[in-house]
Amino acid sequence: MRVTLDLKDFVKYPFLKESQQFIGSYADSIEEFIQTNTGKIALRYALGRVRDALGDRENREKDSSSPGSDSFGVKQAVASYALARVLVSCQNDRSLIERLTRFEAQRAYSFLIDEEETKKEYIAWSVGIDIRNPEIPFIRYVETVSGLRDDRWRLVNREVRAGMVAVTHEEMDELVREQIRVLLTRQLPLKVPERICQLLQPALEQVTLVYQKQMLERFGTVEEDSFPPCIQAILMALTSGTNITHAGRFAVTAFLHNIGMDNNKIIELYCRAPDFDISKTMYQVEHISGRGGTEYTSPSCAAMRTNGLCVKRDALCEKVGHPLSYYKQKKRKGKPAPT
Amino acid sequence: MKAATLEFLKQRFTDYYQQEYLLVPPSLGQREWGFIFFDPDYPEIRMRRHIGFSGREELITYVRSMVPAHAYYSTAYYMTPGAPTMNEKKWLGADLIFDLDADHIVRGPYDLMLARIKEETQKLISMLTEEMGFDPGAISIVFSGGRGYHIHIRDISVRGWGSGERRELIDYVCGIGLDPALVLNHRTPSPRGWHQRYISSLTEYLQRLDAMDPGEAVRELSTLEGVGKVTAEEFYKKRRELMEKLKNSPERVNFRDHTIGKVLPALLEAKTGNFYALLLDKAARADEPVTTDIKRLIRMPSSLHGGSGLRVTPIGIREFPDFDPLTDAVVFGDRLIKTDVSMKLGMSLRGNHYQLEKGVNDVPEALAVFLCCRGIAEIAGGV
Repeated sequence: MRVTLDLKDFVKYPFLKESQQFIGSYADSIEEFIQTNTGKIALRYALGRVRDALGDRENREKDSSSPGSDSFGVKQAVASYALARVLVSCQNDRSLIERLTRFEAQRAYSFLIDEEETKKEYIAWSVGIDIRNPEIPFIRYVETVSGLRDDRWRLVNREVRAGMVAVTHEEMDELVREQIRVLLTRQLPLKVPERICQLLQPALEQVTLVYQKQMLERFGTVEEDSFPPCIQAILMALTSGTNITHAGRFAVTAFLHNIGMDNNKIIELYCRAPDFDISKTMYQVEHISGRGGTEYTSPSCAAMRTNGLCVKRDALCEKVGHPLSYYKQKKRKGKPAPT
Repeated sequence: MKAATLEFLKQRFTDYYQQEYLLVPPSLGQREWGFIFFDPDYPEIRMRRHIGFSGREELITYVRSMVPAHAYYSTAYYMTPGAPTMNEKKWLGADLIFDLDADHIVRGPYDLMLARIKEETQKLISMLTEEMGFDPGAISIVFSGGRGYHIHIRDISVRGWGSGERRELIDYVCGIGLDPALVLNHRTPSPRGWHQRYISSLTEYLQRLDAMDPGEAVRELSTLEGVGKVTAEEFYKKRRELMEKLKNSPERVNFRDHTIGKVLPALLEAKTGNFYALLLDKAARADEPVTTDIKRLIRMPSSLHGGSGLRVTPIGIREFPDFDPLTDAVVFGDRLIKTDVSMKLGMSLRGNHYQLEKGVNDVPEALAVFLCCRGIAEIAGGV
């Protein structure tokens, strides 16, 4: 497929290999680049990208200036995309990476929907989707949608035949957005040498600051009233002394850990289980909360459904794909309106 | 289990492993292995796992000398499969696995359960090949040696998939997450697939309602969550119109209609209801957690299942329709063995039917192994 891309396109779609080739001359050594004036400006834009990704509006105003549209500005813009990836890689936090890739995909999508057809086809093709067909190969489809929450994307609700899945033309744009997100997420974290992360330390500190503030706003103190019905049901079963399955224990432990409940508090809850065994429980709780090296995230709604743990769905459940999102939203709604 | 019985089983298993050709999975060096042995306190389960083998010879020598009661390897591929913790192993990918176990579907005599689960397996294979488009050559079917079948798909393009991607597949085959409004709206529906499966289940259900006493039908409908007597009556009145639409223009079923929008989802939610049973009949009821688990251990094909003495038997897709586990997975002989059976039972093996009384019976070795493995008999005389 042949399409002529111009400078504007590099800014819109900085992940394309053409965009990366365009700034190739700068990328020889990040180390040198970030110490030049151009590099410093690009780094500021990069920080802006990460802030945008975190939805930090307040501080955004300060550096709302954007790079110019000339060759120099375009280089800065594309470099800021690359540097933002370096920043989150130094931080090496999965959810920060997710936020950035979601943001980048959404940003590209906002340009893509108004793009002329041949250019759109080219961008889609470059991430592996042929939007001219009314269906896409089964394997690609599954890989693209497994992170999407809406029921309409579920394979079971699709026409699936002979290894192809039907997709309407209007849905294609959304699939391309998701595919961009999947690809970008797969590329991160980059292996960034320690000394480069050292050089970026001041910027990284700012990222941490914004991020922490965000986390505190989202979770903060534990509010049991805001727990989703599935988690409440398991807790109820636990407190009434009913034995619960391993999957149930895992779900509730990971959930409580994710919203910031202290391990001892979690173990206390388990005291009420009929087969309570302190050492076993401590091991399980500590394991799930990351002692063994992996910190587990509580299962999504889809996983809860698969394990038969999704019960007593309410209206808010329809709007979320994850018990943690339910908690966040309910908590936010529960807050008294600012006066 | 008595010492004599344990010894008998161990000897029979030893014979088998000495003589038979054993199959090893591809990429043997990247698999973790786990075994359960005939320890003195067998069948108390104690698994020895986190074992890695560098090659075929090493594995076979190990199996022949250790004679496991159960042998498993990881569906996953690891950089260092023998490492003691999962993190250190470094996961590289995993085969796609489906586990069909009759235990989850039907209770009853062994041969009946096996027949039922075979149907389920056939449904699954047709979904995998005709709907999802997997190459039949990449699919291997294995009789588990117990109450079901394992499907291994070694397609390189799905090897790196996490639980999320695998969940799409298992939810699809089981019909989990089905949304009536969405599936009825398919534009170019195929004769297979959930569009058709949903329509035919619902049609069957409506026909049954139609044949019922009206009061009875309304009562059944009003047991649904969120459906009151009035809604149930309204729905009952619309049953024929709805059947007609399902037949001719399913995309025109109107979910904005209060009655339809309430009852159709509620039918699907009632997991113990009559409609759901009809729908499940059309699904392939594989065990969900097995497919989404990317670090699972699975029985080694060509090993023996210590709970039955049957061979974990790989079967070609073409041979599958004719496969009979109670003949084709039986590896032991006809020599008569005095066996003390703990209850009266009837059982078919290799085409013969055996009617055993409680107490000591002379039974063919193959049956003796089966009964002792199941824990319902002990060896009576000398071995």
